[in-house]
Amino acid sequence: MAGEPGELLQGTLEMMVLKTLSLEPMHGWGIAQRIQQMSKDVFLVSQGSLYPALIRMKRRGWLTTSWRVTENGRRARYYELTPAGRKQLGVEQTSWQRMSDAVNWVMGARLATDGGRR
Amino acid sequence: MSGLTDLFERLRSIVFRRRDERELDEELAFHATMEAEQLERAGYTASDARRQSLIALGGIERVKEDARDARGTRTFHDIGRDFGFAVRTLAHNPGFATVAILTLAVGIGGTTAVFSAVDAVLLQPLPFQEPGQLARLYQADSAYPADRQFVTPVHFVDYRRELGAFDAVAALYTYSETGGDIGEGDDVRRIRVLPVTSGYFDVVRVPPKLGRGFQPDEENGELLVVLSDRLWRERFHGDREAIGQRLTMNGRPYTVVGVMPAEFEDPIAGPTDVWVPLDLGPARDPDNAENHYLSVIARLRPGVSITRAQAELDRLNATLGARYADASDAVARLDPLKEDVVGSADRALGIMLGAVAMVLVLVCVNIANLLLVRGSDRAREFALRSALGAERTRLVRQTLIESVTLALAGAIVGVIVARFAMSAIVALGADSIPRLSELTLAPRLLAFSVVIATLSAIGFGLAPAFRAAKADPGDVLRVETRSSTSTGSQMRLREWLVVSQVALAFVLLVGAGLLILSLKNLRDVNLGLKTSGVLTFELHLPDARYDSTARARFYEEVAARLSEIRGVSAAAGVSRLPATGNYHVWGTRAMSGPLVNTERGAMQAQQRVVAGDYFAAVGIPLVEGRLFDTRDDATAPLRMVVSRRAADLLFPGVRAVGERIRAGGRTAEVIGVVGDVALDARGDVVPYVYHAHRQFAGNRNWALTQVLRASGSTAGLQADVRRTLAALDPQLVVYKPAELGDVIGRSEAQRVFTLQLLTTFAGVALALAALGLFGVLSYGVRLRGREFGIRMALGADRRKIRRMVLREGLTVTAIGTVIGLLGAIALSRLLTSMVFGISALDPLVMLGAVAFMTLVAAIAAYLPAHRATSAEPRSILQ
Repeated sequence: MAGEPGELLQGTLEMMVLKTLSLEPMHGWGIAQRIQQMSKDVFLVSQGSLYPALIRMKRRGWLTTSWRVTENGRRARYYELTPAGRKQLGVEQTSWQRMSDAVNWVMGARLATDGGRR
Repeated sequence: MSGLTDLFERLRSIVFRRRDERELDEELAFHATMEAEQLERAGYTASDARRQSLIALGGIERVKEDARDARGTRTFHDIGRDFGFAVRTLAHNPGFATVAILTLAVGIGGTTAVFSAVDAVLLQPLPFQEPGQLARLYQADSAYPADRQFVTPVHFVDYRRELGAFDAVAALYTYSETGGDIGEGDDVRRIRVLPVTSGYFDVVRVPPKLGRGFQPDEENGELLVVLSDRLWRERFHGDREAIGQRLTMNGRPYTVVGVMPAEFEDPIAGPTDVWVPLDLGPARDPDNAENHYLSVIARLRPGVSITRAQAELDRLNATLGARYADASDAVARLDPLKEDVVGSADRALGIMLGAVAMVLVLVCVNIANLLLVRGSDRAREFALRSALGAERTRLVRQTLIESVTLALAGAIVGVIVARFAMSAIVALGADSIPRLSELTLAPRLLAFSVVIATLSAIGFGLAPAFRAAKADPGDVLRVETRSSTSTGSQMRLREWLVVSQVALAFVLLVGAGLLILSLKNLRDVNLGLKTSGVLTFELHLPDARYDSTARARFYEEVAARLSEIRGVSAAAGVSRLPATGNYHVWGTRAMSGPLVNTERGAMQAQQRVVAGDYFAAVGIPLVEGRLFDTRDDATAPLRMVVSRRAADLLFPGVRAVGERIRAGGRTAEVIGVVGDVALDARGDVVPYVYHAHRQFAGNRNWALTQVLRASGSTAGLQADVRRTLAALDPQLVVYKPAELGDVIGRSEAQRVFTLQLLTTFAGVALALAALGLFGVLSYGVRLRGREFGIRMALGADRRKIRRMVLREGLTVTAIGTVIGLLGAIALSRLLTSMVFGISALDPLVMLGAVAFMTLVAAIAAYLPAHRATSAEPRSILQ
């Protein structure tokens, strides 16, 4: 988890997309912006990884899409979580929690000091 | 669930590929616009912002490609392109494509047509419920268990009562004299009547669609009738109230009790107009334990096999043997009804199936050969493309798609070929193979052939592709036209393929040769008759207008009038045409002479009732004594004529004329001995006893078949015959007119049918083998064109080179022939029952096949050999 903006592991990106969409339906650009904001500019989501990820997730039945008009009058494709997608988010959140806890236990002491500095 | 969604989404993406692409474009454009707006707000100029946003996004095309990957449609996309490419490539090489597609079409079409025929006749059950449980019961002499005799009424009743293995059993009286007259006055017409016992409708499991069948207490000749659908519509206008009404038949009032469904046809007797209860009265007379005249069919209990039923029958045979000690031919056996109906067509079709399988293999081998040649031709192309960066999987996939394209085209043409082949098969064999008219193209068989051919196309198309893909492009390109090690091994593989083709073609050639000679031998069989120039037809007299006295007079009158026609040398009537199989086989015994009252003095003999100048008409010579004439009428003492075989068996060592015999319950004096007549076209000689119709007309309406010997051709005789008959009785119909030779040949028509098909297959096989050989040698010559050129430039003798190529071809042929010879020997056991008057290993046929094969191979090899040496060395080397 570098401090610099960078590429994401595929699974991680998908998890964050699910999280973003759990708040409200959103178009691709909005998802990218939201992730960037929520990660405090740590993650810059490139179009090149975002859209393939969205298509993949739709294929798995986690998302549905619909064309809507944005608040400033443009047509955009909106993505929305399906019940399966919501369930998937739960699964991923749990496993992420377990994993990050485990990593934290391993990295215990240093993480504490790092945390302190920030 | 998610797997399904995934598949569905992928498929949706294929269908809506264009829309997906358009939407992705729009989505990405939106993204870029938003990005640019944001950058603009951050202070960039519009164009800078646009550029920056694009940089931030990464190349649009790249994103699109990735998105396509994510949709999982890229493979499909490429395959579509490969198909187009395959079609274009094949179109560039029309010669190869045509040969390959036609070969596949012949394989798929021919195989499917013949498989369908075999399927319809052999594998498809009878059109009855649970047909596997249906059996036919025959009686036989314990000394000749293979013999198939009709069943006596006495035994039938015992079988029915005592056999637990039968669900139902029925006796039928299928002789053609069981006609009936319907209608009044001048409108009298003879219809086909089938007397059956009460169990009949349970055996076939087809109940009358209206009314009922018969009850056991009606098996006494009660005047009841079940109508066919046709007669019901004709006589009662399809009225449901017909049940209980009256049908006057033979002047007697029958009560209609039922109507059969339109689609029902008796499995043994064929088309029938009415069913009546069989009179089982004769079963009460133990004398009839020797009277074989019933056809018996049975339905086995569910789960009871024919073997188990036969075991039970064997135990009963022992009991009945003791009960009716005098009865001959009293051992009973069961045959599956299907086998009985299909009869010996079984083996003919089995052999054909084998021939077809061989042709299918040949087709596959030829396809393999074609694709292998193509594969080696394209090794360079593949090497080049691979050097230019094409993926190996992609190259292999493309080959695969090309093979599939070929196979599909072959399948389409194959279906057309199949349609034509089927009409040809039906036209050829409809008369000789029972149930062939039911032939339809069986989809699953078509699928089978298509799959086999496609698999071979794919398999043999892929082998060289994999090899090409594995090979180092550099090597292949460097080797250029010189033969490399890989093409050398391919060459050997191809040679072995040709060897197998030659072997298969050889086996088919031997089969066809054996059948041709068998047919010739069969034609040469001495039947004891002069079959050419004899016209036959059936003449049925209504009982209502002709009583036995009238019939006796009328048949003689007809014969006399017909013999007066110009060009007719003799005319007669007979109860059954000669050499057309068993009919009226009755117990016959010597009542005088050395064998009187001995076991040897009693036997089964064919009985024939004759009117007119029968023996002259069919060409049976008088050996001793005299023939029937006007003296032998109803008022005279009974007289009979016997065949030489009958005379020898009944009166060994003495003169038969003047002795007495008993047949059909009548004792008579033997007045003459005539020449032997074969039982059937195979020429088996059996004893015959002849009765004068004038003396025997009272027994039954014999429905005599008329025979006319023409001094010249029988052509044009029919019109005179009709005119003559119309003058005698305008109501009579000339029924089933035919040449005697054709009627007798009919039983051999099956052999002719098999022969024609097998010869066709042998021809196709030979052509395929020749094509294969030609292909391999031409290819070898092309590969070595440079070598030959150099040799010739250095002064080598052209003839020597030609001989070299020829020798190569003949070596391959020789190896194939030897293998084929071994195969033919191994398969000879199968052919034994089909061949006649010749060994299945006839050396002449074998030698002939070797010679023919070699000749064809030499021609196939000569062309490439000639081409190898006909070009100028300089043009080859340049």
